[in-house]
Amino acid sequence: MPAALAGVALAGVAVLAARPGTPVLAVAAVVVLATVAELARRLHAQLTTVGDLVTQGRSTAEELEVATRMMRARAQTMTSVIDAVTEQSIIGTDRDGLVRVWNPGAERMLGLPRADVVRLRNIVEFHDPEELPPADGPAAARFATLVHDAEEHGSDVRDWTYLTADGRQLTVSVAITPRTDDDGEQAGWNFVGTDMTEVRATERLKDQFVSLISHELRTPLSSILGYLELVLDDDEQPLTDEQRQYLTTVERNAQRLLRLVGDLLFTAQVDAGKFTFQSADVDLAAVVRAAEETARVTAAARGVTVAVEVPDGGLVVRGDALRLGQACDNLVSNAVKFTPDGGSVALRLRPGRRDESGAVHEDDGPGTPVALLSVADTGIGIPAGEQGRLFTSFFRASTARRNAVPGVGLGLTITKAITTAHGGTLDVTSAEGRGTTFTLALPR
Amino acid sequence: MDAPTRVLVADDEEDIRVLVGLAVRKAGCTVVASVADGAQALAAARAELPDLVVLDVSMPGLSGLEVCGALRGDPTTAGCRVLLLSAGASPDDVARGLTAGADAYLPKPFTVAGLVGQVRELAGAQR
Repeated sequence: MPAALAGVALAGVAVLAARPGTPVLAVAAVVVLATVAELARRLHAQLTTVGDLVTQGRSTAEELEVATRMMRARAQTMTSVIDAVTEQSIIGTDRDGLVRVWNPGAERMLGLPRADVVRLRNIVEFHDPEELPPADGPAAARFATLVHDAEEHGSDVRDWTYLTADGRQLTVSVAITPRTDDDGEQAGWNFVGTDMTEVRATERLKDQFVSLISHELRTPLSSILGYLELVLDDDEQPLTDEQRQYLTTVERNAQRLLRLVGDLLFTAQVDAGKFTFQSADVDLAAVVRAAEETARVTAAARGVTVAVEVPDGGLVVRGDALRLGQACDNLVSNAVKFTPDGGSVALRLRPGRRDESGAVHEDDGPGTPVALLSVADTGIGIPAGEQGRLFTSFFRASTARRNAVPGVGLGLTITKAITTAHGGTLDVTSAEGRGTTFTLALPR
Repeated sequence: MDAPTRVLVADDEEDIRVLVGLAVRKAGCTVVASVADGAQALAAARAELPDLVVLDVSMPGLSGLEVCGALRGDPTTAGCRVLLLSAGASPDDVARGLTAGADAYLPKPFTVAGLVGQVRELAGAQR
């Protein structure tokens, strides 16, 4: 109580000063008391200052506590989110690959509790050594390989093989991204993994299944078509007209089945990234004329005219003649198929160019030279909302289904795949009820 | 007149084997043996020393490609001409067949006319 103390001291000085007869002692006492009083006053002043400081200090500490609480809450939110992820592994490492974050998803996927891994193990220890530089080399080189692409491009997603604690191998799609600290400096790496083992196995099984089925279907089709040919071409025992008509129908349908098997196999190869072709110079003008010839009988039977306009000197591109022919046949047969009786189809081939933005033009401006083939029909058209899905396997436009136009929805998928493999593009413009134009642009 | 070209046919599908045999005869050649797997094909080739072997690629046991390699590796049969038939028609399949030492490769399903033409061509060729 500094204020009270100073008050008592001052009161004492006043009392003694008022009492006569004891001058020396009194003076001394007064001096002492005055000194005490002064000291008390200063002490009070100092204590007040300290009190203020303490008050100030208390508010700073409170602020700190609030901030700390917020930080803790945020960290808790982050941790609870990461901990709630049980189907994906989230592994955070420092810049050398030492594990710092190991979520329950990682515990579950790799079979090791957090306590056994964090700050103890390097992430490369959980990767199939076959996919990284030799294990007897420096661990740093292995980790550098792991993050190389993410370092180069800012992030990287691909399949890696993880090794679990019980020795299983998992195919995991891992997204690798850099992890930064509070100052924005790179503190390490994040590895977010999804177990794709079953998905990839199913994909492989599907590919094998399609190959097997294709082979198993092709073999009996070989017999059917071969023996039909022998019967139809037997000059010594000619068929009656009726017999010939029936067997020709059988043959036509066997050929249809064969095309379907071929299309299925081809689609599976494209999906599996196994589509390869042999490149040579191909005259697209000849390809377009051949496609018109193939469609001629069907078109004529329905009164659909097919006009062909190709450069006199031809137009050569690099590619696979058989596959380009298939792409062209698909577009032309589609155009005829989707055009009502009496309509028309126009095939137009001409040189053009692709500008920097990727748009194609028919003039001589700057850009990459391309061959442009447009196939325009006066058919039933494709609703605008469905045009984006046209190139998806087994997709059929509502107009096609409504008008009962036969097909399975593989032709355009295949045409697009062939075009893409040749470095080209396939675009469509269409108006329902008025017609459709497909434009194929191939580099030349 | 030259003796007709002697042909060995190997395919695990009986219907195809018979069809190939018919085509071979249509081409004016003789079928000296018709077998259903790779091991029999190799044995028959060594016993009969045919001029031409028409081989299916996918057969049980030894595949057509393996038989073709073995024929080429054996001095007694290295001179046979080989025509491979296969359900695989991709450029990779054809390349594998020709790398194995085949003289020609015909994807299934083939037309009888196409097979007759191919057999005639190989029958006239000298290895």
